[in-house]
Amino acid sequence: MVDIDGYAFPEELLYDRNHNWARIEGDTATVGLSDFGQALAGEIVFAELPRLGRQIEAGEPFMSLESGKWVGRIKAIVSGKIVAANEDLEWESTLINSDPYGRGWFVKVELSGEPQGLMRATDPEFAAFIAAEREKHGI
Amino acid sequence: MNLYDLGHVPWLDSQLLYHAMPRLGMEGLLILAPAEPYVCIGYHQDAEQEVDLAYCRAEGIPVFRREVGGGAVYLDGQQLFYQLVIHKDNPLAPADKGEFYRRFLAPVVQTYRDLGVQVRYRPVNDIVTAEGRKISGNGAADMGDYAVLVGNLIADFDYETMTRVLRVPDAKFRDKVFKSLRQNVTTLQRELGQAPEWRDMVSALVPNFEVALGPLTPAALPQVVYERASELAESHATQEWLLKPGQRFRDGRRVRIAEGVDVVERRHKAAGGLIRAIVEVRDGRIESVAFSGDFFFYPADKLAALGRSLSGLELNAARRAIADFYREYQIDSPGVTPRDLAVAIGTADAYPSSR
Repeated sequence: MVDIDGYAFPEELLYDRNHNWARIEGDTATVGLSDFGQALAGEIVFAELPRLGRQIEAGEPFMSLESGKWVGRIKAIVSGKIVAANEDLEWESTLINSDPYGRGWFVKVELSGEPQGLMRATDPEFAAFIAAEREKHGI
Repeated sequence: MNLYDLGHVPWLDSQLLYHAMPRLGMEGLLILAPAEPYVCIGYHQDAEQEVDLAYCRAEGIPVFRREVGGGAVYLDGQQLFYQLVIHKDNPLAPADKGEFYRRFLAPVVQTYRDLGVQVRYRPVNDIVTAEGRKISGNGAADMGDYAVLVGNLIADFDYETMTRVLRVPDAKFRDKVFKSLRQNVTTLQRELGQAPEWRDMVSALVPNFEVALGPLTPAALPQVVYERASELAESHATQEWLLKPGQRFRDGRRVRIAEGVDVVERRHKAAGGLIRAIVEVRDGRIESVAFSGDFFFYPADKLAALGRSLSGLELNAARRAIADFYREYQIDSPGVTPRDLAVAIGTADAYPSSR
């Protein structure tokens, strides 16, 4: 586990610049919101998950979260077909806050190609990215 | 940034214009009100569960799902709406959501003060009077590369119709919602004794927004926005969009009156019969509880007293108080234990895992 300014980032995951993570296993990716991302969002009161079978494109919005009466769109970290969605989030959306890398996962995606432009928490550029994001968001 | 002071507009325009602007890559501040009343639900809400759609249909009250968060509200021409559409990369737009609300609700706070009502900002997105009553509703959304804030100055409010358009279990619950709304949501009319003129509200609001946004240039809204709004109506003014499944109630009907204030109806099947509780909670504390149902409770007149005795207690620590009440008044309720009543009001200490 990599700790950057108090935020946890598992080493084995890949991250994008929208604070999403992906765990790649074969041709499937499990995706969710990073510890830093959930801190930015605040207490999440609802997660609207996409339907199974939907094709999603990396960088395009595919689901939404609500916190503080703010509806935020989540952009996909990978491209592919949704093959599973975390039904626990329907009743316990705060799992995204309390267990972002575990029970708070969003969906599983059958990859349509190799994920592009993602970072590992151990990459030097990742720590710099988080530092810049902290300054931008004032946290 | 341009200021579009539109006055009263057709009700659908009062929603679709700010949905259209980010899609056209336009920033701006809209000030408007709907010419006709309607009900507006939050993006993630379930219309059939939240709103008495049959009543609205019968009364000719339109219902609309916005792309912004929050709850179901009854909107009409007695409320002035500000709708800010700002690019996320605009240096005036804080990336942090809390800071965004704080910055762009500051003009609204100042406007209320200018109009003569002492209010304060309460994080994350509330404006309340000195007595803690909500006097402005606000919500936000990401729309593409834009952040959108919508909210209102409440000159006056039709509490009765607001309460009537909600789908609720029965008249008793509706009455509780009405009373809680009256107690926790106020208006300029109630605070000042009379509602300000539209022009006075706009005149106060615009310079205050200029403090946060810089100079605002009054402009006519481009025709292309109306055209984009008309296109959006083809998707957003449909039954399919309105009836999209949304967030379901987990533990009974819940109406959020204001931030931290909820009226909830819960039912619990005990061995001795069905217990029904209408609970009003404020910031985690019980404001009031009304028990009813088909169980026996002796002495019968103590059931209402039990509800009253719980006022002011932490919701999640009420079980012991119920048990103490049983002992003090020697309550006999066959098949209904203090724990059953605690479960009915949803107190966490009713459950073994939380002890």
